[in-house]
Amino acid sequence: MNTNVVVVTGAGGVGKTTLSAALAIAVASPTIRTLVMTVDPAKRLADALDLTGLGGDPVPVVEAPGLWAAMLDATSSWEAIVRRYSEPEVADRLLVNPYFRALADRFPAAQSFAAAETMSIFIESGSWDLIVVDTPPSAGGLDFYLAPEKTADLVGGKLLHWLTGAQLPGRRFLYRFTGKPLLKAADVVLGGPLLEDVAEFLLDLRTMYDALTARSHTMQRYLQAATTLVVTTADPAPVAEVVRFFEELTEIEVRPAAIMLNRSLPHAWADAALAPIANVPDPAVRAELTRNLINWGGEARRQSAAMAGLADRYGVPLVAVPWVPVPPTDPESLEALLAGIDLDELLAK
Amino acid sequence: MMLDRRLVLVSGKGGVGKSAVAAALAIVAARHGRRVLAIAMTEALGLASHLGVEALGAEPIQVHPGLFCSVIDRANALDQYLKLQVRAARSIPTTQLTKALNVLVETAPGVREIVTMGKPIFEVWEGTWDLVIADAPPLGQLQSYLTAPQTITGLVPTGAVREQAASLQSTLSDPAVSGLVLVTTAEELPIVETRQAIAQIDKERQILIAGVLANRVFEPLRTPRATIEQLDPSAARDAGLLHTDLTERQRVWLDTVPDDPQLPYLFDMRTPAEVAERLADECEALL
Repeated sequence: MNTNVVVVTGAGGVGKTTLSAALAIAVASPTIRTLVMTVDPAKRLADALDLTGLGGDPVPVVEAPGLWAAMLDATSSWEAIVRRYSEPEVADRLLVNPYFRALADRFPAAQSFAAAETMSIFIESGSWDLIVVDTPPSAGGLDFYLAPEKTADLVGGKLLHWLTGAQLPGRRFLYRFTGKPLLKAADVVLGGPLLEDVAEFLLDLRTMYDALTARSHTMQRYLQAATTLVVTTADPAPVAEVVRFFEELTEIEVRPAAIMLNRSLPHAWADAALAPIANVPDPAVRAELTRNLINWGGEARRQSAAMAGLADRYGVPLVAVPWVPVPPTDPESLEALLAGIDLDELLAK
Repeated sequence: MMLDRRLVLVSGKGGVGKSAVAAALAIVAARHGRRVLAIAMTEALGLASHLGVEALGAEPIQVHPGLFCSVIDRANALDQYLKLQVRAARSIPTTQLTKALNVLVETAPGVREIVTMGKPIFEVWEGTWDLVIADAPPLGQLQSYLTAPQTITGLVPTGAVREQAASLQSTLSDPAVSGLVLVTTAEELPIVETRQAIAQIDKERQILIAGVLANRVFEPLRTPRATIEQLDPSAARDAGLLHTDLTERQRVWLDTVPDDPQLPYLFDMRTPAEVAERLADECEALL
C-alpha cells in the first residue's frame, strides 16, 4: 500500500478548501489517482469542483481525470464507526440515544475523529496514490491531530470512572451507583435523570474503548507520516494562529512540510510604492493610483515581513499563492492558482 | 442602535473578523462612557489579541478606561451557575459536585452550551456592567448555543435547571435586552451562510438580530478601469487593476445586501490591536 497523504490545515477563511482542491487537481492524472476529502460542513468543495450532491463516498470529478472527491458527513461517519466497533445490540442502543447524535454533531474532537477515521479507511483501501485532506475549521490547528487521543479518552469514560470509581464499570454498576449520594445530589440540582442517561450512554460507548484506542494509534501513525501543509494569509489573526500551531507542535510528532501564504502580492510592489509614478499623465489619476500603490505596496511589504518572520522562526519553505480577485471555481483556474509552484518538491516527504 | 442594549453577541463565519469587530464595538461603547465587559465565549485568542493583551482569564481585567475583558472558563462558569441559581446546591459540597459536573460539561452535549451561553447572561443579571459584548462562537456553531436553553428543557423534565434554562431563554429573546450582531465579508460563502443563519434565527426567534456588518470592503477607485488598462505596464497599473477587480467582485455580493453597513478594508495593519482600534473609529463614524 503506497498512498501519500497531504493534510491541509490553517485558520478559517484563509482558503484551505480552495487550495486543497487546487493541489488535488494539479497533481491528479490517470497515473496518479488522487482523492480530495473535505471535512468542512459547507459544500464549498462541491462548489469549487462544480459538483452537486457530493456525499461521503468518493465520486470521480468528470473534468479532471484521475481525481475523486469526497465530503465528510460526521454523523453518518459516526454511525459507521459505531456499527464497526461495537456489538450489534449496543450499536442499536447507541444510535437511538439522543446524546449520540448531539455528540457526533457538536463535539469538535468527535468530528475530527470521524474525519481521521474516514481518511484511514481511504488509505487502507489502497485505491489512491494521493489523498488530500482538507481539515475542519477549528479554533486551534492541532485539533485534527489530537482528536484521536481526545476521543479515545472520552469514550474511555473519564466521567464514568469518576462517577463509579471503577476502571471498567459494567452495566450493573449503573444501578449501584444511582444510590450514590453524589449522583442523588446531582439529580436534585439537575432536576432529572440527566446524569443517569449520560452514564448509560457512556457505558455503551465504553464498550468500544479498546477498539477505538487501537484505531486512534493507527490514525496517529497515518497523520505523522502525512505531509502537513499550513495555509495562512498575511493578516495578523491567521499569522498568530500559525505561530500558535507551531508552538503546540511539540506535543505531537508532526512537522509541517511548508507554509502556503495565500493571497500574496508581488514583492516588487513594495519597492515600486517608494518611487514616484512617472508614466501617468493625468494628475488626478496619478494621485489616486499613487495612493493606491502605496496602500498595496504597504500590504506587500507587510506580507514580506510576515513571511520572513515565519521562515526565520520555523525554517520551513514558504510557498506564495497569488491573490486572485475572483475565487477559482473551475478545475482550470484552480490548477492555474498553483502555476509556477514546484509541487513535486512541495509534496516530497 | 446596535449597542443600545445590555447584551450584544457578535458572530460571523470563521475568518471574517468577528473578534476584531467584537473588540471594536466594546471599545466604542467604552469611549462613550459605558462600563463594558467584553467576554470571549469559546476561544480567547482572537479577542485577547484584538484588545492588546496576551491572554484572558475568567477574572475580568481592565484594558481601557471602562473596558474589561475575560474569557469563559467553563469550570468557573459552572460553579457560578450552580451557586447563583440553584438553591438546592447550597446543601451540597459544591466543589465536589462541581468536579463531577465539570466532566459532564465537557462530555454531555447541551450542558457545555448552556453553561457557556449562561455566563454572559448572568453578567447582565448581576448588573455590574452597562453592556456585555460576547465574542460568540462562529456561525457554524452558533445555533447549538442559541438553542441550548431549548435543548436542556427538552432533555430535563423538571427542576431548577429547567427553570433556569427558561429564564436564560427569556433574557436572550428580549429585544430590549439582547441582540446579535453578525459580521460578514463581501464574498459568496460568508454572505450566503450569514443569510441562512438570519433566516433560521428569525424563524426560531431566539434573539433579535441587531445588525449585520460587511467587513473589509474596498473603496472603489474613481479612475475607470479602461484608463488604468491603457497605462504602460507598471506596479501602479497592476495594483490599480487588482483593486478594481476586487472592488467589482465585492460589489456583486454587496448588491445582494444593500442595507448592511460597511466597514472598510484596512491597509497596513500590523497588529490585531491596531485593527480593533481602527475598526472602532470606523464603527463610531457608522453608528
